[in-house]
Amino acid sequence: MSEPGGPKEPPGRGADVVWSVIGTLIAGVLAWGGIGWLLDRWLGTRFLVAIGVLVGAAGAFYLIIRRHGSG
Amino acid sequence: MTAPTLPLAREGFHAPGIEIFEWPDIVHLEVAGVDLSINRVVLQMFLVVLLVWGLFFFAFRSPKLVPSGLQNVMESMVDFIRNQIVLEVIGREGLRFLPYLTTLFAFVFIGNVGGIIPPILFPLNGRMALPAIMALCSLLLFISIGISSQGPRYFLNALFPPGLPKVLYILVTPIEFISTFIVRPVTLAIRLLANMIAGHLILSVFFVASGYMLTSMNISVVFGVGALIFSVALIAFELFVAGLQAYVFTILSAVYIAGAMEPEH
Repeated sequence: MSEPGGPKEPPGRGADVVWSVIGTLIAGVLAWGGIGWLLDRWLGTRFLVAIGVLVGAAGAFYLIIRRHGSG
Repeated sequence: MTAPTLPLAREGFHAPGIEIFEWPDIVHLEVAGVDLSINRVVLQMFLVVLLVWGLFFFAFRSPKLVPSGLQNVMESMVDFIRNQIVLEVIGREGLRFLPYLTTLFAFVFIGNVGGIIPPILFPLNGRMALPAIMALCSLLLFISIGISSQGPRYFLNALFPPGLPKVLYILVTPIEFISTFIVRPVTLAIRLLANMIAGHLILSVFFVASGYMLTSMNISVVFGVGALIFSVALIAFELFVAGLQAYVFTILSAVYIAGAMEPEH
C-alpha cells in the first residue's frame, strides 16, 4: 500500500520532530562512536572512538538537515 | 551542602532514595529457573489491567446515543486519541490501530496516576519492566506493519533512505539502523521510566521532608508548612506529567507506525 500521501504536513507534529532529532543525534554518536571503540580495541589505539563520535555527529546532522531542514 | 544552613541536616533525616522502588516478594514463585514472584508492583499491574478492562467494558456495555457518565469520559478519551493522534499523525488508514493506541494510552496513564492516588502511591511505570515491554510491543508492531505494507523493501528503505549519494550510505546506514531499531524503543521506555522515577522521588522527598520539619518543634515548622503546600502543588504537576507521558508514548508509537507504512521521501 504505497499510495502517495500527498505533500501535506499535518499540524501538531512538534513532539515527534524534537524526538526524531534527539534520537538521530544519539544514534549517530552511538553507531560511529561504537565502531570507533571497537576499532580502538582491535587495533590497540585510543583516538578512534573520538573520531567516531565526531563522524557520527556529523552524519546525524546531515540526516537531520536533510529530513527536517526547510530547504 | 553546608550543614548549619540546612535544618534537615541536623540529625535523623533520611531522604528517600531509589530503594522506595523496591518491594519485597509477597508470593515467591520460580518456574524453570525463571523468577515469577509476585510483589506489590505485580499486584498493582493486575489491578491496572482489570481497571482498564473494566472502564472500557462498563462504559461501552450498553452504549447510549447521548452518552453520560462513564461512557462520556471514555468516549472523550477515544475521541481524543482518534482525532489528535491517529488522524493527525497517521491519517484515516491508521484507524485500525486505534484500539492498540487507546489501550496503550489508558494503560500508561492509569499506571502512572497510581503514583498520586492513596493508598497505592506508586507509579507502575517507575519500574523498567512495563515501559520496556510496551516499547517492545510498539517496536514489533511498527516492524511488522512495515513488512506488511512494504514487504522486505521496508528494511531497505529504513536503512538506505532513498535519494542520497551512494557513498554517503556508508556513513548513514549504521546511524539509521541504531536510530530506528534500537534508539527508538530504548528512548520510548526510558523517557517514561525516568519521568515516573523522578516524579515519585520528588513527591516522596517533599512529603517526608514536610513531615520531618513539621514535627521538628523549632523554626523549621515554618518551612515545613511551605514545603507541604508545595507538595500539594506537586501532586497536580504529577497528574499533568502522568497524562503528558502517556500522550507522548502514544503519539510517538503512532509516529513510528506512520513511518513504517510509507517509505521516506
